[in-house]
Order: sequence, then C-alpha cells, then structure tokens
Amino acid sequence: MDARATSEAKGPDARAEALVSAYERAGYARLSPAILQPAEPFLDLSGEDIRKRMYLTSAPGGGEFCLRPDLTIPVSRDYLASPAAGQVAGLCYLGPVFRHRKGEPAEFLQAGIESFGRADKAAADAEMLARGVEATSNYGLASPDIRIGDVALFAGLIAGLELPAAWKRRLIKDFNRKANLAQDLERLMLGGTNGRPEYQGVLAALAGSDPKGAHALVTDLLSIAGINAVGGRSVGEIADRFLEQAALGASTRLPRDVRALIERFLAIAGDPDQAAADLRALAKDANLAAALEPALDLFEHRTGFLAAHGIDVKRVRFATAFSRGFDYYTGFVFELTDPARTGDPLVAGGRYDELLTRLGSPQPIPAVGFAVWIERLAVYGGGP
Amino acid sequence: MSAPLVLAVPAKGRLQENAEAFFARAGLALIKPRGARDYRGAVAGLDGVEVAYLSAAEITSQLAAGAVHLGVTGEDLVREMIPDADARVVLVEGLGFGFANVVVAVPQAWIDVRTMADIDDVATAFRQHHGRKMRVATKYVNLTRGFFSDYGIHDYRIVESSGATEGAPAAGSAELIVDITTTGTTLAANGLKVVEDGVILRSQANLVAARTAPWGAAERELARVILDRVAAQARARAFREVRARFAACDARLLETAREKFGVVTPFGGPTSSGMLTLHCPPAEVYALTSYLREHGAEAVAVADLGYVFSKDNPLFAKLEAGL
Repeated sequence: MDARATSEAKGPDARAEALVSAYERAGYARLSPAILQPAEPFLDLSGEDIRKRMYLTSAPGGGEFCLRPDLTIPVSRDYLASPAAGQVAGLCYLGPVFRHRKGEPAEFLQAGIESFGRADKAAADAEMLARGVEATSNYGLASPDIRIGDVALFAGLIAGLELPAAWKRRLIKDFNRKANLAQDLERLMLGGTNGRPEYQGVLAALAGSDPKGAHALVTDLLSIAGINAVGGRSVGEIADRFLEQAALGASTRLPRDVRALIERFLAIAGDPDQAAADLRALAKDANLAAALEPALDLFEHRTGFLAAHGIDVKRVRFATAFSRGFDYYTGFVFELTDPARTGDPLVAGGRYDELLTRLGSPQPIPAVGFAVWIERLAVYGGGP
Repeated sequence: MSAPLVLAVPAKGRLQENAEAFFARAGLALIKPRGARDYRGAVAGLDGVEVAYLSAAEITSQLAAGAVHLGVTGEDLVREMIPDADARVVLVEGLGFGFANVVVAVPQAWIDVRTMADIDDVATAFRQHHGRKMRVATKYVNLTRGFFSDYGIHDYRIVESSGATEGAPAAGSAELIVDITTTGTTLAANGLKVVEDGVILRSQANLVAARTAPWGAAERELARVILDRVAAQARARAFREVRARFAACDARLLETAREKFGVVTPFGGPTSSGMLTLHCPPAEVYALTSYLREHGAEAVAVADLGYVFSKDNPLFAKLEAGL
C-alpha cells in the first residue's frame, strides 16, 4: 500500500498553516521536532499496543527508532531538553505523524498545542478546549460536538473509598484503559478470585498476625530458599503483595453499597453544571466530600472559564465515564467530533501532569494540550 | 511439464526427520535426485511436485507470500509471523509432531503470582514502584501482545530475545518471559513456572496451504492426491481394525458400540455369514473386544491399518473451502 500522505500530493494545506499561524500569534512558539525519534518513550508511555502501529527501525549500533507516531511526546522531549525546561511554555506544531492504519494513509498531518508549566490549571484546560474549537472553526465547523471528562474525579472517588490497595489499582487501570469496568466490578462482587488453594492454610495463619512479623517471616523464607532479587522484583515486594493477597482472602468481596456508589458515580453525565451538582450530592451522601473536593472545585472553575471563552456550556456533553483510553491523562480530557457524522475525533486532548516526570523531568510540570487531525478537517469547505 | 506445485519442508533437524517420516508413512517418499546436499527435491512417483527445503521461519513467510503452495511449519510461527493468518493460509492438518506450548512463565520466587490477573496487578504495581515497566523477554512479540491485551495487561515492555529466553530473568534483562516449552524442564531448571492460565497456544507442526499461491487446475489435482494419501494415512493411524464373526450381532449392538467406543463401520453391518469389520480408536480396542465377546463373538482379531481411503477427501475439501 502507498504509505505516503495525501497531504504532500495536494501540496501544503494553506488552512492548516493559517491555523498554526493563529496559534503563534496567540503566543505559542512553533516547534518542529525530529521525525525520527527514539522508540523507547512511545513504547514506554503508550504501551506495547502502539508497537504494531509504529514504523520501527533499528540503528546499526543498536537502539530502536521510529517515525514519530504522535507529536506530544516529541514536543515534550524537546521542551525538556531546552533551556526553558521547567518554566511556563506554550508550544504549537504542524507536521506529519506515522501510524499503520487500516484503509487510511499511514502518514498524516497533525497540528496541536502543548502548554507546559501553567499553575492555573482550570484556565489552561478551558483555553485548550477553546483553541480546539478554533481549529474546527478554521475549517468551517463552528459548533462541533464537545465531549469532556475528568480522570481526576474517578481517581478522587477511588482514593476516598475504603478498598484494598490491589482493587484500587485495578479499578483505576480499568477506567484509564477503557477496559470493561462493569465486568470487573461484577468479578469483585463475586469474590474468590484471590483464592490460592495451595497456600490457603499459610495465608489464613498469617492473616491475623502482626504485619511486620509476617513480612519478616515471608522474606526470611524466600531468603532461605536462596532467592534475593528475581527479575527486578525484590523479595520485599513479593512478600508485600503476597501478604496483601492474604489480607484480601478468598472470601473478600466488594461490598454491595460500594459497587452501587461506583455505578451511581459512573452514571453521572450531562451538561457540566448539572453533573457538578449531581457529583456534589453524591459526595455528600457517601461522605466523600474531602476526597472529591479538590477535583470538583477544579471542575467547576473550569466550567466557568469555558463559559468565559464563549463556549455554550449547555451544549457540552460531560460524562464521568468518559476517558480517552491512554493512562497518561491525569485530569481534563476532551474530544471534538462532527454532530453530522459520528466517530473519529477531529480534535482531542487533555491534561497529562505526570508525562514530563515520566520523560525524566526532575520536578513535576503540569501539562495540557491537544492534537488536530488535519485531513479529517480538510474535507470541510469553510475557513480562510 | 515442470513442477507446478511447491511443497516446503523443514531443512534441518528433528522437524525434517519427522516431516519426511510423516510423508513416507503416507506413501509420499521425499527424494533428492541431485544429492543429499541439494535444497530442492521431489516426491517419488508423483511428477509435478517440487520439494523446497527451507527453515521453518522461511517456510512460514513463503506461505504468507504465496511463494509455495503447501508447507510444513509450526502453528506458533504461523500465528506469530503472519498478521491475520487465517486470511492468508489454511491450517490443513496437525501432523502429530513438533508439539510445543507457547506459555507465560514467571520466576518461581513470585509466590504471589499464579494467574494472568496476578500478572496484571503486579505489572501496575511494578510501574508505580520502579517508575518503569515490567519487561517480558520473548521472540513471540505478536502472540505476547495479543494475549496480554486480551487480559487487559498494558503496563509491560517487550524485550526481543532470539535465544535462551528462559535465562533472561536470572540475567536481569527481563522480569518474565513468553517462550515455547514441551515438557517444562528447561523452565524449571531456570527457576521459572508457567502461569496457570498462561498457555497462549498449544502448537504442533501443521501442513499449511497458502491461499495466495497460484492454484491452477494442475496444482489442485496434485494437492488432492497428496491430501488424499495424507488423509488415508491419518485415518489409518486413528483406528485399529477389529474383525469378528458372530451371529448375534444386530443393529442395536452396533449402535451401542458406536456410542460407547467411538467405533465406525466402514463396510456397513455384518455380512450374511456374520463377519463384522469395525474401526475402533486404539484406546478403546480392549474394551470393545470384551464387549463383543460378552455378546457372543467367538474370536476377535485386531490389526493395524496401513491406509484407509474413503470416497470423500476431507483434507482436500478443507483446502478447497479455504482457497
């Protein structure tokens, strides 16, 4: 199949250039990261699933490289390598990205913005959504469908619940990955998934004992067996999780009321103002005000800023269950689609406050941004 | 006419010996008319077939490309190397050798890990604890990715390994592995255990057909002949012939024999003189003979079968359906 983009065949897209020029005038410096990137950060941050969609190659001296499958990670890396690293910086880009896609060219254009270091998160989030709408308007679609979510709300809910750590990890992971959360809740309700017949007696004996003593016993037993660190997991880690499983026991089940609460939470959807009221009511009923307060405050502030950007908040569709399926998002997420057509996002983005730390930044740097699919917008006739 | 049908056979080792023995049993002796070092051969007494001796991996990619018509290779390689394998090749028949399981194995010291769900949880915890992802050493990159994805496991990295994969955890280059194992001995020797629900694929050598190879009338006819013999031999291997003569044999008795012992009656019921011929799975032979004698058979003879040719050709039907 011909992997070349239609973009070059058609020549430069004047409307895409106009869009990025507008971003530059708004104070976002344009960056053109290298097309050939080390593969490691993409595989590490986006997961192995992306490997089959990437164009990978290896250097003669070793090391895997790829044609960049997106621009968020390359822009973030360039920012971290620049003198501005750690400071507030607004960056924008326009250029080709490369992914295997069934029935579509593998090379396609993306534009976008990455905003680093802004402490006023609610305002920064709202501005990104507004800039995203600017992109669709640039092509003549002034009122795209706006779907938003907020990963931090679910994280707040789970943090506030009295659940075993292992279950919390699992529920958060399911949520981020768009995995079947409902099915997992069902399984936790049934219990018994942690049953370990061959160790049942030992586990039962340890379950009631002093945790420190039990930990020492298990690590000692492993040491006697001549086992120190095996495959990167320390004996201490193995002992910790072994005892965690012991504490869970075969009979531990997700309490009915907790499940009902999670389901009530995930059912909250609608316009952001109504959703915020519903979430406040839920927090009050479940005694979770302290856990949900910070995320809810940010959520409400953000909605205020959205209105200030001229976005009709009543038209924004919020859902607590909405996530983009990547685990690097930590808060606000959004997608713009065409009301007349369903499916693929035209613009999508969100907040990823931990990404820069995972790319090696010594201090946490808040970050939010979005990407625009140029070819999907190019079919619209409007714009300059 | 030059050889229109290309049959690819492993060029080395046990797989070659087994494949040659397999074809020989089916009455298809593979010969190398130009000497043992030649990588091209023929089938004795069957003109028009060219035998290509290649590595198993090469056979797999040639099948995917349609450059050979039929080939002997492991299902593990087919599933690993050919994206959307069922659209490109037809697995015609498992050959009964080259058995190997592709499995997920972790250090035995991981006493907290028994299932894939445990691995999922450990993976998430590992990333939180170490700030990097758990590494899986394997040469089965695609099988691993698909299997882990089915279990919703995402916090891991694949480290490609082309040999001695089972040593990776001890060497510190990976936390766990995905590899083939036949008996599990090598895994155990390296302090590894197979995760309970971690069998990705139960593989064996297969006779595989390439859908995209040029299948003209001549090629089809040759494939029909080869598969007819393979099927006759496969069917002969799956049964013993049991012969008995007794008057009390009736339809009800035969029905019971079919249900209880999986018996088939290739020549119908007893003849007028009371001779009965049954084909019975080897494991049930003794039970069947006891049953027949209890119901009045005087003597029961059991014999191995050489070939069982039948009117239909199920393997060729399978191939035709796939082309």
